[in-house]
Amino acid sequence: MADDRMKVSSQQASLVFADLLDSLIVDVASESHRAARLGFDYKLNVEEEEEVRLAHQARTFVGDSGSIGNENGNKHTIDVFGQTHPTIANETFECLNCGRPIVAGRFAPHLEKCMGKGRKARLKASRNMTSTQQRRARSSPISSYGGVVSAARTPNRTPTRTPEEPQRGLTEAADGTSEESHDDDEKVHRARVQGGHFQVSAVTK
Amino acid sequence: MRASVNRPPTPDADEDKEAEPTLQEIINIKLIESGEKERLKELLRERLIECGWRDELKAQCRAFTRKKGRSKITVDEIVRNITPKGRAMVPDNVKAELLQRIRAFLMSDAL
Repeated sequence: MADDRMKVSSQQASLVFADLLDSLIVDVASESHRAARLGFDYKLNVEEEEEVRLAHQARTFVGDSGSIGNENGNKHTIDVFGQTHPTIANETFECLNCGRPIVAGRFAPHLEKCMGKGRKARLKASRNMTSTQQRRARSSPISSYGGVVSAARTPNRTPTRTPEEPQRGLTEAADGTSEESHDDDEKVHRARVQGGHFQVSAVTK
Repeated sequence: MRASVNRPPTPDADEDKEAEPTLQEIINIKLIESGEKERLKELLRERLIECGWRDELKAQCRAFTRKKGRSKITVDEIVRNITPKGRAMVPDNVKAELLQRIRAFLMSDAL
């Protein structure tokens, strides 16, 4: 019994499929007929072999390297103005941060290192911070705060900084834009009490 | 006005001529009502375009039109000519996929 039902349903399914297919065939025929009668089927007057050749020609002109199999490689794809562009940019210019000549194609990775966004640059910056912190702690307790601030702001400077500069470093930090957290206010207050002479007012908000 | 007196009998008798809807008709109605027919048609159309069936069939249409002459060709002639070719050109996997979906619908919608 189940077999019969299967047979019937297979039969019915085939009928349904044939119905769908016929309807699509009529669609294609109707479209082609309309194009022929209204005169906008450009391939109508062309013979078969020519048609294939023309299609291939059109693809090369458009630069569809995928269908031709990458004969020349992507470097020679022609754009709409007839120009070709190399895959990697060649122009060289100066980095805005460090002033070194950089190739345009390598600019993004360079900036990462240069401005301290990447992993290694951040490690370098924290190394600066800790090393200057230690050095400043030896000379005077106030300077350690200044060392923290200045190192955080200028990570690309060389880590060696002579202890004679603590005051200058502090004023520099005080004048600059403030990224410090409010914890610093406490440290500043302590420093002021201890009698360090530097412009803290610019730092506190 | 006298003609109206002799008008033909009311169509009560015609009810006998109307046969029971066949299984096929019932299936068709259910397909259309549920929207499944539209979905199946779209799926088939998409698959046939992907595999190049449509382009090839169009080339056949063009070839036939060239033979018969552009100005005198009719849709019926084209359809009659390309239908057997079109049916034969359907790839097996496409046909199998569609048949499977149709069968699933027929099974699920307990007839």
